[in-house]
Amino acid sequence: MRRTARLLAGTAFAVAATAPAHAAEAGHPAARLHSAGAVGSPAGRLDVSPSTVTPGAQVTVNTAACGAPGAATGDAGAVGAGVFMLAPGTHEGEAVGRFRVPPSAQPGTYEIVAQCAEGDRQVTGDLVVALTAAHEQVQPRGSVKTGVGGGLGTDPVQTAAGVAALAVAAAGGTWLLHRRARGDGI
Amino acid sequence: MGRSARTARRVRGAKAARRAGRGRSARLGDTAIAAVTVVALGSAVWLLGGSGTHAPPQPAAAEGRPDPAGERLSAPALAPSPPLRIRIPAIRVNAPLTGLALTPSGSLDAPPPGQKNLAGWYEAGTTPGERGTAIVAGHVDNTEGPAVFYNLGALKRDARVEVDRRDGTVAVFTVDAVEVYPARGFPDDKVYGAAPRPELRVITCGGGYSKATGYQGNVVVFAHLTGSR
Repeated sequence: MRRTARLLAGTAFAVAATAPAHAAEAGHPAARLHSAGAVGSPAGRLDVSPSTVTPGAQVTVNTAACGAPGAATGDAGAVGAGVFMLAPGTHEGEAVGRFRVPPSAQPGTYEIVAQCAEGDRQVTGDLVVALTAAHEQVQPRGSVKTGVGGGLGTDPVQTAAGVAALAVAAAGGTWLLHRRARGDGI
Repeated sequence: MGRSARTARRVRGAKAARRAGRGRSARLGDTAIAAVTVVALGSAVWLLGGSGTHAPPQPAAAEGRPDPAGERLSAPALAPSPPLRIRIPAIRVNAPLTGLALTPSGSLDAPPPGQKNLAGWYEAGTTPGERGTAIVAGHVDNTEGPAVFYNLGALKRDARVEVDRRDGTVAVFTVDAVEVYPARGFPDDKVYGAAPRPELRVITCGGGYSKATGYQGNVVVFAHLTGSR
C-alpha cells in the first residue's frame, strides 16, 4: 500500500515535470499511472543494459528521471549485487551507474531500483538473468545461397531486337546479291 | 527509210537516257540498302553475341567498409518487434519479409525462390531496430530472371533502408558499406557477429558466376539504425 502511494506521488511529480504534454491526462489517476509505466518514456524509468545477462556480467543502468545534476543511489540487492552509485553521465541530466551480477545469481527477473539524490523520486527497471544470454544466440555461418544465375540469361527484349536486326540484314543482303546476279552492278 | 532510221535513233537515245537516269537512282538505292544491311548485321551481332555478359551489378571498392568500430552515431535502440517489410528506395525494393531458419550445415536458409519479390529475416536472431545485428537475405535471381535484391550491389554508402515492424514503427537504417565476400573464407563474425548498436545486414548472392559452381559469394550491405517513426 505504501509502495503504491509512493508510486502515485512519483507519477504526479513526473507529470508535473513534463506538464504541458500530459496536462490533459493529469485529471485521471488511471491515465497517470499508465503514463508512468509506459515503455518509451525514458524520463520515468531506469534503463538497464544489457537487459538480459548471464551471471557474472556487468550491467549499466541510467536514468534521466533525477534531472540535473543527476545523481542517485542504486539498489541491485534483489539480484544480490547490493547498493551502487549513479553519477552524472555524458548526457546532461542523466545519471549512470554500474554493478556486477554475482556469479551465483539464479535465472529470473529482478527489479533494480534507483533513488534520486534530490527529492524522493524513485525509478525501477527489470533485469533478466539467464543461463545463456540473448546475444549468445546461434549465429549463421558461411555464405547464403540466394541465386541460381537465372538473372544472367538473355534478356528477351534484346534477343528479339537482335533477331529483327538479323532479318533486316538478311533481306538487304539477298536483295543486293540478286541485283549483282542480274548484272545491274553496284 | 531515212525517216525510220532517224526515229529508231531517237528512240534508242531516249531509252539510253532513261536507262542512265534509272541507273543513277538505282545506284543510290543500292548504296542505301547496302548501308542498312551492314548496320543491321552489326547490331544483330552485338545484340545476340553480347547478351551473355549481362550480370547483376557488383559494389565498387569505394563502397568498402570505412566504419569497422561503429563510430558513427546510432539512434536509440527500439524494443524488439518482428519485421514485416523492407524498403530500399534507391534500388526500388519494397518487399515483404518471411522468417528464415538455419540449414542443417548452420548456414542461413534462403527464402523460397519461386516468389521473386520476397526477402527473409533471421527469425532466431535480433529483430531490426533492436540492439545487435539483424540479418535480412533475399535472392539476386531465380530460374526465371532477376529477383528482389538484383540491384543490391549497386547500392551506395549513406543510402536509406527502411523496415516496417509489427509494432507499427518503421526502423530507418543508413548504409555504412556495401561489400562482396567469397563463399570460401566467409567473414562470419564481421557479417553475423553481435554489435553494440542496432545494425542491419542485407545479403544476396554475388561475386562472379560460373556455370559449375553458381555464384562465388555474397554481396553484404552493412547499415546501422539512424532513426525511427
